[in-house]
Amino acid sequence: MDGMTTPGKTTATRWERLRAHWPALLLPLVAADTLGLFGGTVPMLLVIVTAAMALLAPRESARLTPFALLAYGTYGLFLFHSLSDFESQLVTYGLVEEATGLHAGYVLPQAIAFLAAGVWLLARTGAPGGAAVRRALAQLRGAGGQPKTVPSVLLLPVLFLWEELFSQQIWFGSNPGRVIALLLAIVAVAMVTWLPGPAAALAVAGLVIFGVYGAAAGVWHLWFAHQQIWLWQWTYGAVPVNVRMGALLATIEGLVLAGAGCALAPRLLTWRGDIEMARRAQALTQRVSRLTQTRSDATEVAVAELRRIERDLHDGAQARLVAVGMSLRAAEELMRDNPEAALALVAEARETSSRALDDLRGLVRGIYPPVLADRGLADAVSALALDAPVSVETDITLHGEPPMPVAAAVYFGIAEALTNAVRHSGADTVQIGIGYSGGLLRATVTDDGTGGADASLGTGLAGVERRLATFDGILAVNSPPGGPTIIVLELPCALSGQDHGRQERASWQAIT
Amino acid sequence: MRVVIGEDLFLLRDGLVRLLEAHGFEVVAAVGSAPELLKALTELKPDVGIVDVRLPPTFTDDGLRVAIEARRACPGLPLLVLSQYVEQLYARELLADQRGGLGYLLKDRVFSDAAFADAVRAVAAGGTVLDPEVVSRLITKRARSGSLAALTPREREVLSLMAEGRSNAAIAAKLFITEKAVSRHAAGIFANLGLAQSEDDNRRVLAVLAYLNS
Repeated sequence: MDGMTTPGKTTATRWERLRAHWPALLLPLVAADTLGLFGGTVPMLLVIVTAAMALLAPRESARLTPFALLAYGTYGLFLFHSLSDFESQLVTYGLVEEATGLHAGYVLPQAIAFLAAGVWLLARTGAPGGAAVRRALAQLRGAGGQPKTVPSVLLLPVLFLWEELFSQQIWFGSNPGRVIALLLAIVAVAMVTWLPGPAAALAVAGLVIFGVYGAAAGVWHLWFAHQQIWLWQWTYGAVPVNVRMGALLATIEGLVLAGAGCALAPRLLTWRGDIEMARRAQALTQRVSRLTQTRSDATEVAVAELRRIERDLHDGAQARLVAVGMSLRAAEELMRDNPEAALALVAEARETSSRALDDLRGLVRGIYPPVLADRGLADAVSALALDAPVSVETDITLHGEPPMPVAAAVYFGIAEALTNAVRHSGADTVQIGIGYSGGLLRATVTDDGTGGADASLGTGLAGVERRLATFDGILAVNSPPGGPTIIVLELPCALSGQDHGRQERASWQAIT
Repeated sequence: MRVVIGEDLFLLRDGLVRLLEAHGFEVVAAVGSAPELLKALTELKPDVGIVDVRLPPTFTDDGLRVAIEARRACPGLPLLVLSQYVEQLYARELLADQRGGLGYLLKDRVFSDAAFADAVRAVAAGGTVLDPEVVSRLITKRARSGSLAALTPREREVLSLMAEGRSNAAIAAKLFITEKAVSRHAAGIFANLGLAQSEDDNRRVLAVLAYLNS
């Protein structure tokens, strides 16, 4: 039984793997095509080897396929050149069977198709270099708000196209022509590198001009010149223009190129117009993603805070008030028969209500400390320093008051740092400094304890960090083992011109 | 004894009026905002004023500022400041003029009305009454860093009870010692803090202040 099921299983998985890595199947196909090109035993062996590879190692074969296609496409280009140079030979390339120089034009589109398929597969499969191709394609589409440099790269294929379109006979057939072509290529690469804007403009203009030229040439031949006898072959793109079929193809080709140029032109205008815009778009994208992150953090923090308050109320004040109610109810019943016991219950109720108030006070301090509400950040931190069980020195210079949410975030950040210093560092003295300059509010908490604090451990400082992030603020912890610990909170904000509450104070003092 | 009350919540104001009248005080004015309170305190010059920290118009620390302002206008005007929470910062500001006749208590303390009436009388008599919560937080702090280190533990205990506004008799009862022993401890405290012989009450205030500022 085992002997039968196991092979079945492996065939199934092999089939699935082959399906997952289907480009592997193209490899023997390409090899088979070379059979018609070269003939002989070597291509035959190649077909067998690649077929075996596709079956045995589909993943690796699939990775090889794009490169095989690229190589075969490149070979097609060379083939096209040698054919159009009137080298009389019969070739088979792709769908073209035993073509002569006259049919050279039909080789080129196939070569380009092979190249395009190679690039496409390179982007799709995990082949080496695939990521770079993917990135380039994404940029070509204008993704990520940074398309500036990419359209300029188009100049290279357009230049190549240009040389191909006009073939060698007219301009570049001679050796000096080849030198010029090489020089042009160098200039193009230089432009792409240092003048991406003009390069992109040139590329798009080239597409439009060559397209219009090709379409015009084709139409002209179709309608006016098809009777003429030509001494030399006039090629445009892949096709000889002075053949009726070729003229038709040239017209189509030209229209496609001109269309592509026109389609790219508006995008180019946007690209060309503003490097600044692209940079801002990128900055905005980053800003938006950061805001999204901090907003969701802030929401989470707020929800967690509300849940904590709810729990504290439920377990504390609320429960105690229930107890007060029950005591009073019991006292009510005992009042007539056992006044003494009733009195004891009332006293108990009073005690419990006092505890409920204690709970509420603690809760209020945790939500928005009263001194912060009354006096603002500076006095609230001073009050914090006074209440701390260790000696705390404060150095606060604030000419004005930050907005309330910012003040609360900084206050709780300092409170957390102070609590850590007291609880974990064994510090004797803590220094708190608050200052404001250049639009930045900066608070430092320094202790002379044992150090080793880490914002990534524990929830306290991490929570402060998240709370500050909502205001684009940062938390920096410098706490080498052995101390001292320096915690810095920094966040951008505007200070209101006046001290907290001074305006209101002035107004009611004026009344009296 | 004439009392002025500044409290914005009607229920509490009403309750305070009834409580104080039940204990034989005469409430000459009960107002609900800071400007009215300042006016009542400075014009009526009561034997003692009862001031809520959070008052209109700004609902922040208006009452506290009224208290400081009124004592600047009428030095030594006895005031008992009430609040839902107590802050050392505010206690220091209230005591900054180094005069007695000042109390700073949690509002909850009105629950035990007899003790509350005692506190009002103590303030009216020029004593200093700090809420046990302020005092207990001071003790936790002093336990670690001690500029009052020269005091014995017993003396520190006596000092904290003094800060709560208790008389020598009350301290004696609380600590199960004789009143004489309390006086001896008090003398020790004053000597250690370098407070010269003067009126006993004022020295008590200064001792509490030293305690706050240590």
